[in-house]
Amino acid sequence: MPVPVGPEALVPRLRAICGDAGVLTDPAQRRTYESDGLTYHAELPGVVVLPTSTAQVAAVVRLCAEEGVPFVPRGAGTGLSAGALPRSDGVLVVTSRMRRILEVDVEARCAVVQPGVANLDVTRAAAPHGYYYAPDPSSQQVCSVGGNIAENSGGAHCLKYGFTVNHVLGLEIVTPAGDVVRLGGKVAEAPGYDLIGAFIGSEGTLGIATEITVRLLRAPERVRTLLAAFPTMDAGGRAVSAVIAAGVLPAAIEMMDALAIEAAEAAVACHYPKGAGAVLIVELDGPAADVDAQFAAVTALCREAGATELRTATDAAERARIWKGRKSAFAAVGRISPSYIVQDGVVPRTALPEVLRRIADLSAESGIRVANVFHAGDGNLHPLVLFDDAEPGAAERAAEVSGAILDLCVEHGGSITGEHGVGVDKACHMPDMFSPADLATMDLFRRAIDPAGIANPEKLLPTPRLCGEPPGVRTDVHPLVASGEAELF
Amino acid sequence: MPGTTPPPQPPRPPAEGRGADPAAPATFEDLLSDCVHCGFCLPTCPTYVLWGEEMDSPRGRIHLMGQSRQDGVLTGTAVRHFDNCLGCLACVSACPSGVRYDALIETARADVEREHERPLGERLLRAAVFALFPYRGRLRLLRGPLRGYQASGLSRLLRRSGLLDRLPPSLAAMERLAPPLRPAPRLPERVRARGRRRATVGMLTGCVQGAFFPQVNTATARVLASDGCEVVIPRRQGCCGALSAHAGRAEEAARFARSTVAAFERAGVDVVVVNSAGCGSTMKHYADVLANAAGGDGWARRAERLGAKVRDVTEFLADLGPAAERHPLPIRAAYHDACHLSHGQGVREQPRDLLRAVPELELVDVANPDICCGSAGIYNLLRPEPAAELGRRKSADVRATGAPLLVAGNPGCALQIAAAMGADGEAPAVAHTVQVLDASIRGLPPAHLLGGRRGG
Amino acid sequence: MGETTRAQGAVPPRGGAAEAAGRALAGAAPDGGAAVRPGTPADAVGGVRPAYVAAPADPAAAAAVLAVAAEHALTVVPRGNGTKIDWGGPPRDCDLVLETTSLTGIEHAVGDLVVRAGAGVPVADLQAALGSAGQRLAVDTVVPGSTVGGMVATGLSGPRRILHGPVRDLVIGMTVLRADGVAARSGGAVVKNVAGYDLGKLHTGAYGTLGVIVSVTFRLHPVPPALRLLRAAAPGPEALREWAAAVLHSPTAPSAVELDWPPEGDPELAVLLEGAAAGLDARGAAVAAVLPEPPHHADALPPGWGELPGAPGDTLLRVVAPPPEAVRAAAVLRDAGRARGILAAVRGSLGTGVLHAAVPADAPPEAVAAVVAAARAALAGAPGGAVTVPHAAPPVRAAGLDLWGEVPGAALMRAIKDRFDPGHRLSPGRLMEGI
Repeated sequence: MPVPVGPEALVPRLRAICGDAGVLTDPAQRRTYESDGLTYHAELPGVVVLPTSTAQVAAVVRLCAEEGVPFVPRGAGTGLSAGALPRSDGVLVVTSRMRRILEVDVEARCAVVQPGVANLDVTRAAAPHGYYYAPDPSSQQVCSVGGNIAENSGGAHCLKYGFTVNHVLGLEIVTPAGDVVRLGGKVAEAPGYDLIGAFIGSEGTLGIATEITVRLLRAPERVRTLLAAFPTMDAGGRAVSAVIAAGVLPAAIEMMDALAIEAAEAAVACHYPKGAGAVLIVELDGPAADVDAQFAAVTALCREAGATELRTATDAAERARIWKGRKSAFAAVGRISPSYIVQDGVVPRTALPEVLRRIADLSAESGIRVANVFHAGDGNLHPLVLFDDAEPGAAERAAEVSGAILDLCVEHGGSITGEHGVGVDKACHMPDMFSPADLATMDLFRRAIDPAGIANPEKLLPTPRLCGEPPGVRTDVHPLVASGEAELF
Repeated sequence: MPGTTPPPQPPRPPAEGRGADPAAPATFEDLLSDCVHCGFCLPTCPTYVLWGEEMDSPRGRIHLMGQSRQDGVLTGTAVRHFDNCLGCLACVSACPSGVRYDALIETARADVEREHERPLGERLLRAAVFALFPYRGRLRLLRGPLRGYQASGLSRLLRRSGLLDRLPPSLAAMERLAPPLRPAPRLPERVRARGRRRATVGMLTGCVQGAFFPQVNTATARVLASDGCEVVIPRRQGCCGALSAHAGRAEEAARFARSTVAAFERAGVDVVVVNSAGCGSTMKHYADVLANAAGGDGWARRAERLGAKVRDVTEFLADLGPAAERHPLPIRAAYHDACHLSHGQGVREQPRDLLRAVPELELVDVANPDICCGSAGIYNLLRPEPAAELGRRKSADVRATGAPLLVAGNPGCALQIAAAMGADGEAPAVAHTVQVLDASIRGLPPAHLLGGRRGG
Repeated sequence: MGETTRAQGAVPPRGGAAEAAGRALAGAAPDGGAAVRPGTPADAVGGVRPAYVAAPADPAAAAAVLAVAAEHALTVVPRGNGTKIDWGGPPRDCDLVLETTSLTGIEHAVGDLVVRAGAGVPVADLQAALGSAGQRLAVDTVVPGSTVGGMVATGLSGPRRILHGPVRDLVIGMTVLRADGVAARSGGAVVKNVAGYDLGKLHTGAYGTLGVIVSVTFRLHPVPPALRLLRAAAPGPEALREWAAAVLHSPTAPSAVELDWPPEGDPELAVLLEGAAAGLDARGAAVAAVLPEPPHHADALPPGWGELPGAPGDTLLRVVAPPPEAVRAAAVLRDAGRARGILAAVRGSLGTGVLHAAVPADAPPEAVAAVVAAARAALAGAPGGAVTVPHAAPPVRAAGLDLWGEVPGAALMRAIKDRFDPGHRLSPGRLMEGI
């Protein structure tokens, strides 16, 4: 293990790899990279590199490995868990210049792209052929496919179509040792361990994806989008349960409460029904007859659940308008509150009504407003905890409410993150959901791929430095731990 | 980072209800803090499209502005990245948080002009640009076969600045596109409405438009008159100040704004029609231009009143509805969204609706409509390389439409794109939206707009 | 990959040590929580007879057995119903077979479309339980009699994977016993969850080389109201390839597009449509429109749907190809066989390009090797293309056929194995060389 050097010592060699324009050392420039989409966490990166090829990424990482310098991968910087938080003692490897769509293979129904390609651009490239790329995070016009790989991004339509991991056929990765490894290809299941499946969602801790082969889906014959307004969240929740119980699997079921509707209206004038306590967006897609049958069923179920208004998008423009309100909701909340925390937790769908009530109680007790925008179909909550940081103590109370919502998710058998990832932000919440043995086992995997611990360190798993020593004594000592080979948390 | 408590995000004052007094104007810091760092602006930013680096994105520039305010230092790095901004305002359209990047960058540029000492060469070039462009008379000297001769009559400053060396490619394009230089019929101060008078409108003739595209002004007046407007064209109008405002030359902009406000106040019109996107965009925000300028708050109110009367010509015509018959014009036409029309004024559908209403005209959209063509006022003079690269990209998108006619609502865009297309193939004919309407109303054949090209 | 900790060839128990290990195993779980008996020839794994067979009654007992095994450096092979126990490479060693058949239990969260099932639950029982609630685990029965654990450990997916993904896409959580007997969980009980590494992905298809699967949580789908199966025999592989491409490009959203190519005769295309009964005629017509003649159709699945080709005991080849290359690879494989007197049956998914070919168990090993080599050569230029041999008949295995070929990322896989199972005691050698 080499004695670690500061990242500045690497600059001449980084320049030799990426060229002068590919290495940023100017403090003002580096500072613009100090955070990703979660600005609460910020740190000045030691050096920023902007490679343009796999060979450059590999050479940069190899150099980091040789010198024991940590590296942090970053795509478009839209993440919401500080997964791309830079390190002052490390190199920030930004893939934003690797944004070529290398191939759209219609016959094999896949596309080969570089990691910096924006998610939506894949669909734009495939659309003329009648295909699309299914994962659609709300930030899809900007977030990069490489970032989607790191976070296993979902989106509104993952209810039916799954997440990034379900749509990646091949990866070229640069390992933390700087080796280039190609996994899979234009095929469904490569032999051996499913390294692609395990790499996706690893938040940059196992290396950097430098080329990605994604599956393309045939555009559905019919898409119908319904906007249903309900007097209360409870009524909306009943409609969701009824739809699922009826054996209908919509492409998406999204729900917004009154506060979120207000914000979206202020931001993009989406003209959702006025005065609604909740709106539901239900999108059905597939063969025409199935969609029509399901649409009739869903419409009836919404009415039964007490819908006060039902609107159907009749063309792509109307559909886009309905979705615009939903997809801009996060940033839009800035229009109704000086500050807010975006939370991301998951509960079993059947626990939704109970959890929403508990969130309302939390809000009432604390005097902190909570706007709810969420993927109702899969129980993925995105409470937006609003506060005014000019008001003394408000930020702390908001943080408490936000934390309590996560506790509710875990208590109901859910997850601390459905799509934003763990990053730095939630690393210390991991023990709420996983036992020390679970976490130690995850660390075995991490260390198998990154024995030196230089790939995006201190993300995803809790460390004593981040979270303090956990209480209690462990009884399950793994042989590797006993031998000093691995460490526990 | 001792991440024990979850993150209070940085403060984000709402656009509405900011602070104790909702009516109080937002401070620069307020405007900065509206940005939540979501990054939705990145893919629409032309320089981010070109270079893929954070500092040359709106989000990065806002971060640099924040750094400057926080540290009290305006670094050369920050200035360089502010200078790289085309001011196309695509980011304003893309922003879900309603960040007023337009106001931010203009303030940042005014800071730069005030506090930052540019190298001599840059200073000269900028001085020359602003000694030339806002003045129609001086611009006219650059036109025609006598250009070299006439230009020698221009001031020593222009020659020393190197501006003339940068102009030829653009000038060549202008010459190719503009009709042969002959005295354009000077517009009268008042053009009578044809038929029943439906409105009385003022009309801005502009500096570049007036010097290089007098025929656009003529067409504008004719279309307005045909659709029942009495058109008032104040003689004493000059540059509206948009170029200066976009460049952070706040005092100069305010000077132009005041005289434009005064000219149209005297005209006594209810509506001021503008046919140049960049001008209209600035004039609608005259209140901002004059808010911090010297001259007393009487001007602020006058500016606000006038700003409220400003309409892009297509916006106005679409609202008004046609009176004159549109004759068939069998042409395939690609419509290009000028940034200051689509992003600056939110005018996207009106010109399209007007064009679609022309019988037999086939309207096609250009891919990547949100991305600037690189013209951006005087950007192509100050930063020719990125401007040319953006022109090439736009050129490819326009060429892909296969349309022989390119329609745009801004003179600079048309020039820029046609020049880029001419450089790597045949350039399409270009026309302003009102020229197409004019041809249709007058029942002219497609050749009038196309020259020798086929109708597609 | 940095330092490795390969502790290969942990000393197996022999003589007195073996007896001690046996006693310890018997006492591993209190109250007879784990029945332990000596291994018999019928327990052999890939020809290797285990010293012991333990059948723990519950996960805690299984953990205790594994802890004892770790203490005594025993090699362990987990086994469900044993339907694929002779798949993969023969274990380098096998002291203990750990039977998972008592690790049962089904927790079906109906409203959440999620089920948690013990590794020992037969897949058929699971499907029956889910079916009573109008739901299903969207996998087909590829090998009848499989347990949940066995199905997941071999990663076997059937025809319907083109719509819902292979097994790994349906696994949302997993509890696994590590080599040291410690239980570790990953994923969770909700479909949408990105907390931590998804280690369930690694265990799916790992043949028990990284741990012993105890229970698996799956996402479920509603059973569609109706189905229609369309079948058409093609005059040759090229025509069939074109038909399949046309069906896949149509907006009919098929649940399966299958190739069924018997040892002799023409290849057949099968297209499965599922959904509203009212829509099946229109969708069926759209499928028929790309075929030269009207296909046969049925409103139920035939017996044996989705099962592997050939007969039990056949050598089984698995072809993974970019979908457009799959039929060609199958044709090359069959031709290579025919030239050597071998008639191979091929079946599989044209939508995903995953096919299985069955070569009769008595085929000469050299000929089988030649067939495999020909198929591998046919896919040499195809990104990700691979031909593996999930099951080799004993003579083929004995002849030392390379069952896996060149596996991309093998070095990373070995590094993972070394960390999870430093003593290389779990199913050693069943997946790949060194794993």
